[in-house]
Amino acid sequence: MKHARILYQMVRADFLERVRRYSFLLTLAFAAYLAWGSASGLIVLRLGEYRGVFNSAWVGSMMTLVGTLFISLVGFYIVKNAILRDEQTRVGRILASTPMSRVFYTLAKTLSNFAVLALMIAVLAATAPFIQFFRAEDTHYQLGRLLAPFLWVGIPAMAITAAVAVLFETLPVLRGGVGNVIYFFVWVAGFALGHEKGIDDFAGFEVIARSMQAALRKVYPAYKEDFSLSLGDSILATKRFLWTGVDWTPAIVLHRMLWILAALATAVVASLFFHRFDPSRAWSFRRASKSPAAARTNGDALATAVEPRVRPSPRPLTPLTQGAGETRFWQLVGSELRLMLKGQRWWWYVVALGLLIASAVSPTVAARDGVLTAAWLWPALVWSQMGARESRYATQSLIFSSARTLQRQLPAVWVAGFVVALITGGGYALRLLVIADWHRLLAWFAGALFIPSLALALGVWSGTSKPFEAIYTVWWYLGPLNHAPGFDFIGTTSATSRPVLYIVSSAILVSAAYFGRRVRMAYA
Amino acid sequence: MQLVIDKVSKCYSGGNWALKGFTLELNPGVLGLLGPNGAGKTTLMSILATITRATEGRVTWNGSDVAANPDELRTALGFLPQDFGVYPNLNVVEFLEYLAAVKGLDAATSRRRIDELLSLVNLADVRKRPLGDYSGGMKQRVGIAQALLNDPQLLIVDEPTAGLDPEERVRFRNLLSDLSGERIVILSTHIVSDVEATATDIALIAQGTLVAHASPEELLRRVEGKVWEWVLPSAELNVAKQKYLISNTSRRGDGVHARVLADAPPVGAQPVTPNLEDAYLFCLAHHRAGVAA
Repeated sequence: MKHARILYQMVRADFLERVRRYSFLLTLAFAAYLAWGSASGLIVLRLGEYRGVFNSAWVGSMMTLVGTLFISLVGFYIVKNAILRDEQTRVGRILASTPMSRVFYTLAKTLSNFAVLALMIAVLAATAPFIQFFRAEDTHYQLGRLLAPFLWVGIPAMAITAAVAVLFETLPVLRGGVGNVIYFFVWVAGFALGHEKGIDDFAGFEVIARSMQAALRKVYPAYKEDFSLSLGDSILATKRFLWTGVDWTPAIVLHRMLWILAALATAVVASLFFHRFDPSRAWSFRRASKSPAAARTNGDALATAVEPRVRPSPRPLTPLTQGAGETRFWQLVGSELRLMLKGQRWWWYVVALGLLIASAVSPTVAARDGVLTAAWLWPALVWSQMGARESRYATQSLIFSSARTLQRQLPAVWVAGFVVALITGGGYALRLLVIADWHRLLAWFAGALFIPSLALALGVWSGTSKPFEAIYTVWWYLGPLNHAPGFDFIGTTSATSRPVLYIVSSAILVSAAYFGRRVRMAYA
Repeated sequence: MQLVIDKVSKCYSGGNWALKGFTLELNPGVLGLLGPNGAGKTTLMSILATITRATEGRVTWNGSDVAANPDELRTALGFLPQDFGVYPNLNVVEFLEYLAAVKGLDAATSRRRIDELLSLVNLADVRKRPLGDYSGGMKQRVGIAQALLNDPQLLIVDEPTAGLDPEERVRFRNLLSDLSGERIVILSTHIVSDVEATATDIALIAQGTLVAHASPEELLRRVEGKVWEWVLPSAELNVAKQKYLISNTSRRGDGVHARVLADAPPVGAQPVTPNLEDAYLFCLAHHRAGVAA
């Protein structure tokens, strides 16, 4: 009983701390947007050219899949800061001084994450009856059929997402930007595995899809295997069929409950890696082999080792002969560039150089496209710091109180990011210059403009690197890698290349970054 | 060189006034800004450092309105905030070089200046270590160094000795005294001894308003003949605390020696020489009594 009360209080405090932040309104707004998208037909669940009649079973299942698909991705990035927040607020140090066990802590964080994600699912569930009413294709309301998918599919999916977020936070390599990028691929693989092997995936696509496909095949035997949940494809769903829902047999429910068990197991595994706010264990991957072990994690050790000898008469300061605040823009660009690249390990440069060379010497254009695609994913974590660094490291007061910061420092950050794009993608550009492929060169240039612009705008407005890491990875996957129209900022194929669009977008993003920084500063 | 704070007020969301009609005129010297926690010191510092805007009133630097022309003040400003961060992967030289570039200093001048500053704040021996390895006190010294990078005419330091060991604290006080010649230094703190050692002027702030602005000598004069040492049995201390303003107590063999601030002495109390802490507590108590009345 005592443990249950402690667990409840830990989850409650963490949950309240999250939901009382303004950013939580954005989270709810996102859930509401998904609901609106489902109601308006923007998001459509389609089986080839068919879609189901909007009865309770179809609406409940469609909304559940919308939730598990989008919230398991976006929600991960939203909740993956539970442990970090305790570090930043220093509450973690207080918790660490209590008898709280590691398992208890990771379980509490998992439950707190789950509460946030489940609330988003609840928003979708609450709007589901209104969508059925709004679409008015079937006025017979069946609450059980409407809500069962949320319960048996949505809840386990959120549980596993919540636990994986905690696991990522406890694993040293995955807790930062690398983890944000890697999760996207884990998420894609999770769906792909379920689909290919026909097993119950965490998001419940297979269990619902199998039931829908079986129902459709009975009516239209010619139906193939197409099953998609997509944006803006509603015109392709020209025919309707009646589906009465998944038959939630004990076996299916048990299968789904296994995901909750998996979530609990994941939380327990996470506890093995949880540093319990011990500074000597909370090592950073980036700095791991850089400093002496003792000094690396605890400033006190260094302070003791080198505590200054008393120097009664320090050298007097030389007065400045030149006025401070004069414009030395390129010096500042150099400093920003150094700041961006400082802390990267030697192998980061080796890989970047390898990609640079490979993009210049690859024999075919297609191969070069592929290498450039990789070359511009590699520095994603370098770009993601743009605009967010001041907030992340609490240096705003030092920087924003300097003269002409907005006119000098912000552009210098952008130029430094642009230089990184030019250098890492330079091999490909050189090759295009040699073969005088001006259209591809323009597309490459647009991409080089677009990446730092997107990073700067997202960094300035969010104050964190996470939105860029998540959005850029998804964008990169859809566009340069899968050639989705509109997303290909590199212009990997002539059909998907939109250089002018991306040049204009870059200008808009840079303006947004400038405006965002402007409103955060008391004076421009 | 003059900084004028004219009827400055600051209201945060929820109608919470951190400053109300604060007026002060500053000339070269060290101003000790003293006040209890939550008095509005950090808000005032942030307004003077152009980090936040005043809701009402205006600040002028050498006659120029800071709201209209913030860069004039920023160019002359050195600011050590109460809370600030560093970039953990940079060493102290790289960090200061970066801030020098942000402040617009040329590379050669800033390099020389950084060398001197590191020696001044005792960090020369650890110049190659990443800042992420520094202790809190060492980071505070980095903050002091960055505030002096541009040889500021206006130096604003907010709780600068927080986290420093006693030796470093003395060094910093001496440094402030040395720097104070031809510049305005604003030292915000709630540690009276820091102000006692360095300030040429003192401003007392409480509940967002200016309680007193005077030289240390003048403040001490205000409590002359009002500070008493009273020896009483320990059992009577709690009753005495309810009746008198007691600034300090120490237990000795003959009982508790209490330092009492009062117009009339308790029976048996002996007059003692007042110090700044007495003056500070006396002014605050008077202010609170006035507000309550």
